[in-house]
Order: sequence, then structure tokens, then C-alpha cells
Amino acid sequence: MSARISRVLYAHPRGRLGLLLGPAVAWLLVFYIVALVLLFMTSLWQQDVFTAKLIHKWTFDNYKKLFGEGGLWMRIYGRTVLLAAIVTLVDIALALPLAWFMGRIVPPRWRTLMFLLVVVPLWSSILVRIFAWRTILGSQGLLNGFLMDIGVISHPSSAFLYNDDAIALTWAYVWLPFMVLPIFTALEKIPDSYLEASRDLGGSALTTFRRVIFPLALPGIVAGSIFVFALTMGDFVAPQLVGGGSQVLGGAIRDRFGVAADFPFGAALATLTLFTLVVFLAITRRSGALENL
Amino acid sequence: MRRNALLGALLVALAVVVAACGSSNNSSSSGSSTSAAKGINVNGPGEGKLNVVDWEGYTDPSFVKAFEQQTGCQVKSVYAGSSDEMFTKFTSGGGGQYDLASFSGDASLRAIKSGAVAPVDTSKLTNFGSLAPQLQSPPFNTVDGKHYGISFMWGANVLIYNKDKVSPAPTSWSVLYDPKYKGKITVPDNPIQIADPALQFFGQQNPYAISQDTLNKVVAKLKQQRGLVRKYWVLATDFEQLFKSGDAVIGAGWPLMTNDLRKAGMNVGEVIPKEGVTGWSDTWMLSNKAKHPVCAYKWMNYATTPKVQKQVVAVTGYSPANTKTCPLLGKTECNDLHVTDPKYYSSIKYWQTPTTPTNYRQWTDAWAQVKG
Repeated sequence: MSARISRVLYAHPRGRLGLLLGPAVAWLLVFYIVALVLLFMTSLWQQDVFTAKLIHKWTFDNYKKLFGEGGLWMRIYGRTVLLAAIVTLVDIALALPLAWFMGRIVPPRWRTLMFLLVVVPLWSSILVRIFAWRTILGSQGLLNGFLMDIGVISHPSSAFLYNDDAIALTWAYVWLPFMVLPIFTALEKIPDSYLEASRDLGGSALTTFRRVIFPLALPGIVAGSIFVFALTMGDFVAPQLVGGGSQVLGGAIRDRFGVAADFPFGAALATLTLFTLVVFLAITRRSGALENL
Repeated sequence: MRRNALLGALLVALAVVVAACGSSNNSSSSGSSTSAAKGINVNGPGEGKLNVVDWEGYTDPSFVKAFEQQTGCQVKSVYAGSSDEMFTKFTSGGGGQYDLASFSGDASLRAIKSGAVAPVDTSKLTNFGSLAPQLQSPPFNTVDGKHYGISFMWGANVLIYNKDKVSPAPTSWSVLYDPKYKGKITVPDNPIQIADPALQFFGQQNPYAISQDTLNKVVAKLKQQRGLVRKYWVLATDFEQLFKSGDAVIGAGWPLMTNDLRKAGMNVGEVIPKEGVTGWSDTWMLSNKAKHPVCAYKWMNYATTPKVQKQVVAVTGYSPANTKTCPLLGKTECNDLHVTDPKYYSSIKYWQTPTTPTNYRQWTDAWAQVKG
């Protein structure tokens, strides 16, 4: 029986391909494409404010609201994109030296351990990692204790927690592994001979970094940036736990679905997020960095 | 002859089922569930499970364990941070994920109007008769003479402060707008919060029916407060952590937090300021698609017995709906909680869903404006 099946499949390469890809494509269609289409359609619908029932009548009101209301939602959008950009840049700045150390300075037999140390935090719940920052930055936290011990401040400062800076710091920490790993992979692959050639030709350390290392690390940087930027754009956990009052896109979307029972407007906000990520991907694609991945 | 009677009875039964199906397809009517509720044997064995979405403290292990042992119904509960969250959780995915919710007045009418909850058979609710009179058929859970659930606990949104850091004791809500406490204030992250300043500073005796003009004034006032707020709290545990870590010393909260913080050894005070308070009156409501209705009825009966009501008081500090709880509480606590004081009860402005002149969507948008 199985011999017959394999004979049939051997004779029909298209059928073979269909069987192999079918489940994956079906999965993608149902849980990804259909979900996206539904999301977009919801953003063009309305919802009864009292009973929370969706009204399937087409309207552009949700998108008008996005750009109206005294610019409120655009401010939230701008704040989120800015935070995502800052977090991405901070993570690049932190990850480059760290990945260089891991990939080129540490002896190869220790590299697996280094790799593990970077990945280990990902094994714990993101909530725990965010809460850790609350105990570090809070009024009775480690940072305040330290600053008071060395005499920089006399009273605990409340400037470290429950604001946008705390959100940015927490994000930069929790997403750092997603930046370190691709850069590590890129840097590890650079042959020593390239660096020697640069030095032989009289290139200073800076020139070598600028003309040799950075271009070769760029695919890793771009891959890491895509991860970090996308994760930041959609997150609502960190803002809720360490943020103050000002909203970010992820939190605003969560509120629209989970609190305000205003799914259509939440869907419009989510569409805006997706659109931003598509634009970001298009820019990185045009830079050509993706082809080197 | 007898055969024909049997056939007739079968036909009638069939007609009832068809009618029931017709009305449940209609989804806005809940007539089908009344007959379903009548058929429930609350003294029979439960379904072994009970899924609820409720307020923090309402399914505390201190009294849930005994319920599980008595009835064999394993309680799985999810806490909600606001009425909207509870309503959204309860109705998401078409409903039926949860058997019961502990809706406050601002969500209960929405649940009834949207057909998410079923009327209950009060003859099967053993403690119904001993509820305070004003809580037997209150307008927020009784519509057209049909009872949707049983009243459970009620209370006020109070001003809570750290006695070591705030003195003298505040008597007015204006402390929450006082620059003296900049960065030390916490208020709920909840659009219904708009009703508080409307009542307290703009003289709205029905703070849930305010004009666009008043709403604008309230938003301006709340934006002022925004700069002083350390953090908007979502769950009661957030509030308590802010107080414990010293990040907040004064805020608007529920008696539950005063209770918890005192148990944790903190020196906190609780005030009902002179401008008046908003509050809530909660009802256990049964889902129209409840998968475990027998367990749900058993819970509604269990949770309203004087003994359990007293245990809920111990956890939350709220006022019990069952007046027979008083002998167990003792006279002082009974008076403190105003269990049998309809005058005090009616002085609280209970949460309602704003519909007109400004509706709830306008409130949520205004709240988003406040937070920025």
C-alpha cells in the first residue's frame, strides 16, 4: 500500500508538492490572511456603543477619527514610532560591541556559553523581566538606594519609573537578545583575512569598522532592527507596567478591544501599525540589506 | 385516547422547543432561558465546573475552597479591572466562555440589553428574600419584572491615603488635584472616572447624564490632574503596590485596598469626602449560554448566604446585600457598613452606563484625551 502511494507520488511531482505545502498554505490562509482581511473589514464597520454588537455597515469614520480629534491619535502614533526608533538605535549601539565580543574576542569554545547567556532571559516570562525593572527603578528601588548611598540624591527620586523613559529602557532590555543574535551571526562569519587586509592597506581601526565590519554586519543589524521595531510597535505590557499615563499604540489598541468595546477603531489603529511595519520593511528591502541575509 | 394526549403533549413540547430556538436565534430576547432555568434542579449534582469573570476578592480562596468541596464545582475565575473589561471578556467569542459575571450597575444593563445574560428563577435563589429591600429588584438588574441575577455586594469609591505621609486627614476630593501631592497620586484608569469630578466639582447630581459642555469642563479638570498623577491603576494589586513602594501616598480606590494594605501592616486611612461619592452595586449574572448553570445557581446561593457574605466582607470591606449578615458581623460593623441603612445606600451615585446627552463612546474618547 505504502509502496503504491510512494510510486504515485514519485510519478506526480506536482501532487507531491501540493501535499507537502498544502497544510502550511492552508494554515497561512486561514490564520493569517483571512484574519488580516477580517481585521481590515472590521476597521470599516461600526459598533453599538451600548450592547457592543458589531454593525456591518461600511464607514470611513474610524479612519477619519484616526486623523481627527485634535491630533490625539497621531500624537500617540508619533510617540510610539519615536520610542520604537529610539529603542532600535539603543539596541544596535548595545548589541554591536556585545556581539563583537561574543563572536570574535571570546575563544570559540566559550561562544556557546555566551550565546546561552544572551538567550537565557528569554526563557523566563516577559512579565517577570518587566517587573524586575519596577523593583530597580521604583522609589524604594535599587537605583534610588544606590544613588542615595553614594550621596548623589538625598531623597528617593520618582523620576525613574512610570514614564516614557522607563518604557524605553525596559523595551531596550527585553528586546536586546533579538538584536544581539543576528548581529553575532553576521560578525562571526567575517574572515580574519578581511580585517588583516584592511590593516595591511593602512586602514585605521575606525576605517576598518566603517568600510569593512559595518557593511558586513548590516544584514544582521537590519534583521535585528526588524525584530525590535516590530516588537516595540505592538507591545502593551511594558507601558502598562512601567509607563505613566501617556498612551502608546499597543496599549491604545488593547484598550479599544479589551476595555472600550470599540473594535472597529481598534482595528483601524492595528491597520495603521501594520501599515507602518510594511513601510519599514519596504525601506529595509530597498536598502538591499535583506538580500544578504 | 390516552395515546392522543401523549401525542398532543409531545407536539406542545416540540412547539415550545421550536419557539425557544426561534427566540434564541433572535439573540436580543432571552425568553428561552427562563424556561431553561425553570428546568434546573439546583439541588442536584453540579456540572463539576464553574467559569466566572469577577472583581478582585469576589472569588477569594478563603470561601471558594469550601464551595468546591461542598458542590464539586471547580471554580475558575478571571479578574477584570473595569466594567468594560468584564463586559468585553464576558461577551467575547459570542459568550459562553463564562457562566457568571459580577457585573456592576454600569455593565449589568448593557449585558441585559445585549442578550448576554439570562433571567433567573428567584424561587431557586434561597437568599433572595433576605436581601436588603432596595437590592431585591433594583433597576440595574431587574427589567420588566424579570430578575437578571442576584445582588451581591455594594460600596463606594473612596479616598485612600497613607496616614504617615498625609496629614491632616483629607476631607475633600480636591487633594487629588493638589500640586502638593504631585507625583504621589493614583487614580483608576477607567473612563467611568469622569463621573467623579462631574459630581464633586461641577454639581451634577446625576453624574452619568452630563452634557458635552460639562464633559469638556471635566476633561480640562482631569488634564490638570494628569500632571500630578504618578500612575493610573488598572488592577487593585497595582494600587496596593504603588502604596507599598511609596510611589503613591493618596488616591481613589475601593475599600478592598484599604483592607489589604492594613493587613499588610500599612497605616492607611479611608475617607468619604464631603463632595459625595460614586460607587457600585454588583450582581451575579448568569450567562445566556452558561455551560454550567447548576453550578452557577449553587454559587449564587452560596455567595449570598450570611456566612459567606461575612467572609467576603472580611476580604473586601464592601457592604453585603444580605441583611441577615448583620447578626454575624455584630452591631458596630453592621452600622459601619450601612447594611440596613437605605438612606446611606441611596446617597451613593452608583455606576451607570452613560447614554445621553453624552454616551459612553464619548466618555472613552474623552478619557483617551485625558491620558494623551
